[in-house]
Amino acid sequence: MEIYLPIAEMSVHWLILIGLGAAIGFLSGLFGVGGGFLLTPLLIFYGVPSAVAVATTSSHITASSISGAIAHWRKRALDLKMGVVMAIGGLAGTGLGVWLFTYMRRQGQMDLLVSTSYVLLLGTVGGLMLNESLAALRSNRDGATPSRRVQHTWMHGLPFKMRFRESRLYISVIPPLAIGLFVGILSAIMGVGGGFVIVPAMIYMLRMPTNVVMGTSLFQIIIVTAATTILQATTNFSVDIMLAGLLIIGGVVGAQFGVRVGARLRGEQLRLLLALLVLAVGVRLLVGLVLRPDDLFSIQMGGQ
Amino acid sequence: MKGWAFLAAALLLAAPAAAEDLVSGLSQDTVQITSNYTGADIVVFGAIEHLEDTGVNDVVVVVRGPDANVTVHKKDNVLGIWIARDQAKLLAIPGYYYLSSTRPIDQIAAKFTLSRYEIGLQNIAAQNVVSHHDPEPFRQALIRHMQQGGLYGEQLGVEFSGPTLFHTHVPLPAEVPTGQYNVEVYLFRDGNVISAQSTPLYIDQAGLERRLYNFAHLSPLSYGLSTVLMAVLLGWLSSLIFRRAD
Repeated sequence: MEIYLPIAEMSVHWLILIGLGAAIGFLSGLFGVGGGFLLTPLLIFYGVPSAVAVATTSSHITASSISGAIAHWRKRALDLKMGVVMAIGGLAGTGLGVWLFTYMRRQGQMDLLVSTSYVLLLGTVGGLMLNESLAALRSNRDGATPSRRVQHTWMHGLPFKMRFRESRLYISVIPPLAIGLFVGILSAIMGVGGGFVIVPAMIYMLRMPTNVVMGTSLFQIIIVTAATTILQATTNFSVDIMLAGLLIIGGVVGAQFGVRVGARLRGEQLRLLLALLVLAVGVRLLVGLVLRPDDLFSIQMGGQ
Repeated sequence: MKGWAFLAAALLLAAPAAAEDLVSGLSQDTVQITSNYTGADIVVFGAIEHLEDTGVNDVVVVVRGPDANVTVHKKDNVLGIWIARDQAKLLAIPGYYYLSSTRPIDQIAAKFTLSRYEIGLQNIAAQNVVSHHDPEPFRQALIRHMQQGGLYGEQLGVEFSGPTLFHTHVPLPAEVPTGQYNVEVYLFRDGNVISAQSTPLYIDQAGLERRLYNFAHLSPLSYGLSTVLMAVLLGWLSSLIFRRAD
């Protein structure tokens, strides 16, 4: 049965949306990421106006992250204190991101901003993760147990130190705040939760133990995407509640299966898979930027 | 299918003897977009009265949607990357345009007549164009895009049943903009418009869709909060259900 989406102003078969939501939700539960970096481009490829795709994806990420976060919370795999600190940075970043979004759209360079930031970010993050997880897999095979490296970096010289018990860390609040801020900006301009940035940042920069990383990142994503949804609804009127509802119903179910499968896989394998996925999307978008388009012209409805 | 013919016949009989040369009507004057809307098909029908045998009669039906402002971007290669650079803003150009005629329009009338009435895709004009470049390629690109999306079309779809009764189908795809449309019926004789009629057609969202649309635009904060609440509840609910399943 086809369903008419009131804000996107198009009709779509409801099974397609539920299936799409389930697939993205599965990945979300598996990797502890929101899945927005996949869902936003997919919706746009499907014909949903990009403003609606970006804004509606936020609410989908909220829902699939909640079921994931609760699953992690039950296993005590969540650092609430760290999550709150990062969410504070994230809220500031969302405000900043929406301002940047409006500014770039007025300049007519929104598409370029979105595509290049996707390519740069996914390329960098995916490359780093691929490198790291391959190295980890190799050292495991050699029989060497990877020790928790406690290195003294510049981060330890920063003020406002705080103890994060679940993460077994005593560090300054500035790095988690800054990571939150950066991810908040991404959330607003790219329609992503930012898990693919938070997860590596927590592992490689903050040196958090891998088991609390997933739950904590999901917690911060929930706060930031909920704020983004409300901000997009009030400034751009571009949140489609019907589209969101169908994607979410598929998404929350998929996320539950994702968490279960993820618990059975080893951390290095998970990171390798995520790295490959992130790189694949990045390459796809890079191809779109570099290849000569079939039609050089594009049209944009509305405006003055 | 018989309905239009019956209605047209009724119209023909009801019209006073010495009225205009053209009467026309629509199979429906309102299209409601509801949750299972996948597009609609309306029928424009009519009759020519006092048909003279001397001369060539042609009927052209034009359905115009509400005007929209459109920005057309053209991509250029800058350092290996395709970037939207040049642009043209076409102000007040129809968001939907469908033409149906008895013969190809360039055989019906001269170019200046057609462009005066904006008959034919090539004669659609924006009220105003803002561009630093020749706007023509941008206008052509817009027409091409709208045709691919089914929002612009030109067909030889006007059929006569008998010497005076005619009808044509007008497809309205799922993506049609909402608002007031105008259905214009022109009667050409020997290349001149001798009669024309315009009938409004309303396309509107109805039912749940309308209410959601109004909710989103009239109280956006509550709408945003509701969306988040729905997301939170669905996420939490699934968590509960799956916990029991464990």
